[in-house]
Amino acid sequence: MALVVDGLSTGFLMALLGLSITLVFGLGGVLNLSLGNFAVIAATATAVLLGLSGSLLVAVLGGLLVSCLLGLVVDRSLLSLVYRSSGEQRTLVGIFTMLGLSIVLDGVMYVYYPSQYSIPLDVPSLTVADVTFRGSSLVIIAVSLLLIALLHTFFERTYLGGATQTIMQDETGALVCGISPRRMRTLVFIVSIAIAAIAGILFAASASVSPSSSFRLTIQALIVSIAGGVTSIAGTIFAGLLLGIVSTVAASTIGSSWSSVVLFGVVLGVIFVRPGEIV
Amino acid sequence: MNRDRLSLWAILGLFALSPLLLLTTESIYATRILSLIVIFATLATAMNLVFGHSNQLFFFVGALSGTSSYLCAIALLNYGISPWLTLVPASLLTGAIGMIVSYASARRKFGVVAISIITLTIQLAFRDVLIGAREITGGSTGLAFRGLSLGFLQDALGVDQFFVLYCLLLVLLFAVVGTYRWILSSRYGIALDAIRQDEEVAEYIGIDVLRYKSHVGFAAAFMIGLVGPFYAQLSGFVVPSMYSLASVDIIILVILFVGGLRTTLGPLVGAVGIVYANQTLSSLGQWRSVVFGALLIFLFLYFRRGVVPAARNAVEQRLLSDDRGTSPAD
Repeated sequence: MALVVDGLSTGFLMALLGLSITLVFGLGGVLNLSLGNFAVIAATATAVLLGLSGSLLVAVLGGLLVSCLLGLVVDRSLLSLVYRSSGEQRTLVGIFTMLGLSIVLDGVMYVYYPSQYSIPLDVPSLTVADVTFRGSSLVIIAVSLLLIALLHTFFERTYLGGATQTIMQDETGALVCGISPRRMRTLVFIVSIAIAAIAGILFAASASVSPSSSFRLTIQALIVSIAGGVTSIAGTIFAGLLLGIVSTVAASTIGSSWSSVVLFGVVLGVIFVRPGEIV
Repeated sequence: MNRDRLSLWAILGLFALSPLLLLTTESIYATRILSLIVIFATLATAMNLVFGHSNQLFFFVGALSGTSSYLCAIALLNYGISPWLTLVPASLLTGAIGMIVSYASARRKFGVVAISIITLTIQLAFRDVLIGAREITGGSTGLAFRGLSLGFLQDALGVDQFFVLYCLLLVLLFAVVGTYRWILSSRYGIALDAIRQDEEVAEYIGIDVLRYKSHVGFAAAFMIGLVGPFYAQLSGFVVPSMYSLASVDIIILVILFVGGLRTTLGPLVGAVGIVYANQTLSSLGQWRSVVFGALLIFLFLYFRRGVVPAARNAVEQRLLSDDRGTSPAD
């Protein structure tokens, strides 16, 4: 039972990461290969600020602010250049630009913050009927559920959310309706970075984070997103939960490095046999 | 066309004559740099074939070359089998991996996004297998690698093993470049062009897209597999970090974009510049990867066509303006 809860918490983290990929890809056709870097930067900034200020709230807000500002800079500079091309060309330009950015951010992080960081939450474990649940797992699940509910409200209830969905479905149609795709893309990119940042901070609450974690986080985000169908939000969340449970159960039975091999095997299998279009 | 062929033979001639230069300098450092140039030129040519000509973005060149290298190293250390015997079977295996990925992707009509994610996942899985099976692979410390040398040739010519290795690498490069030219001048070249321009139309006029794509996937992955063990021989060991995304795939992509995608000379010219730059910048440590990441972004945004097509254009422009200058009609 405790294992299932841990699996769910990993699953929610993977779902959040996958969601960030799905949002940006669905809206602009750009595959954010530097997503893991943003998550690691947010977690590192939070851990460093926690050491400086001593207040968890200040640290988390600071970590979010740092990563979102960086995201804004990237959106205004690099992504503006990427969006100048269209269709398949844009996808390709996006892949190489974001890959290059990921290498740059990785290098900078290795130079200035090469060590391992974690964020102690001080949430006590909860014991219900002889089963002990890790405090960090419960916090991860609670925060993720809240975040997903917020996103759902945003997409279904607000004008901006509706506009975003319109662009996802038909870019030209959205333009005709007077929606500016470029502005919405900036908004959604920042939202996706914020989601990745929260996922990174939550990840650092249950494990330690270093610059070398970023590639792995990016890959996890990608596989969740592609297993969920790349453009489907509900599919991404479902895929994240499923893969999270698979990887946690595998890790507890055969060890962590083999568990990721199993995970990758399952994902590759899912990608090749699942019905429906994948870009 | 003739001018292109002339410059191709000139550059290949320079590569072929380079061993003479090494014999006169006898510098181990120069031999090493030149060997790296040839290794990366060969890998970039294979990538040029699979990505440039058939739009299959293989992000696991590191994992493929690493797979054949580790298989050779393990066969030698555990069973005493010479890498000369395991080289081709191991490369056939990596070729098969490339073919399976290409076949399955073409069958499911995956685009460049799906193939890049699949191959990135395999790249990370490869690293995890190396760490997970550390009793066999040595984990992150790696294994010693030797055996891809030709002792009798060293003795007969009175040269050291790295010089012989360099000559072997050159032979491999010429074979790969030759195969690349041969594939593109055959009906494969025409079919690949058609598929790249419009896959559906190509299929409609009767081109077997599945077959062409998976054959190209096999050919490229086989070439990549062949290079790996020679790279290991040059280093004297195999470690996971040698075959990572950052140390193989990124370098190859930068080489391709600098040199020029879909040109025979591009990978050769790009490899000379980039491998040399990579060695010169090695004192920068982590900043080197920052430079390469920035270079990848810059090249792809502003200089996508590369040095070779740009030079070709410049020459043509000049010839055109010369013609105009001497022509009485103007």
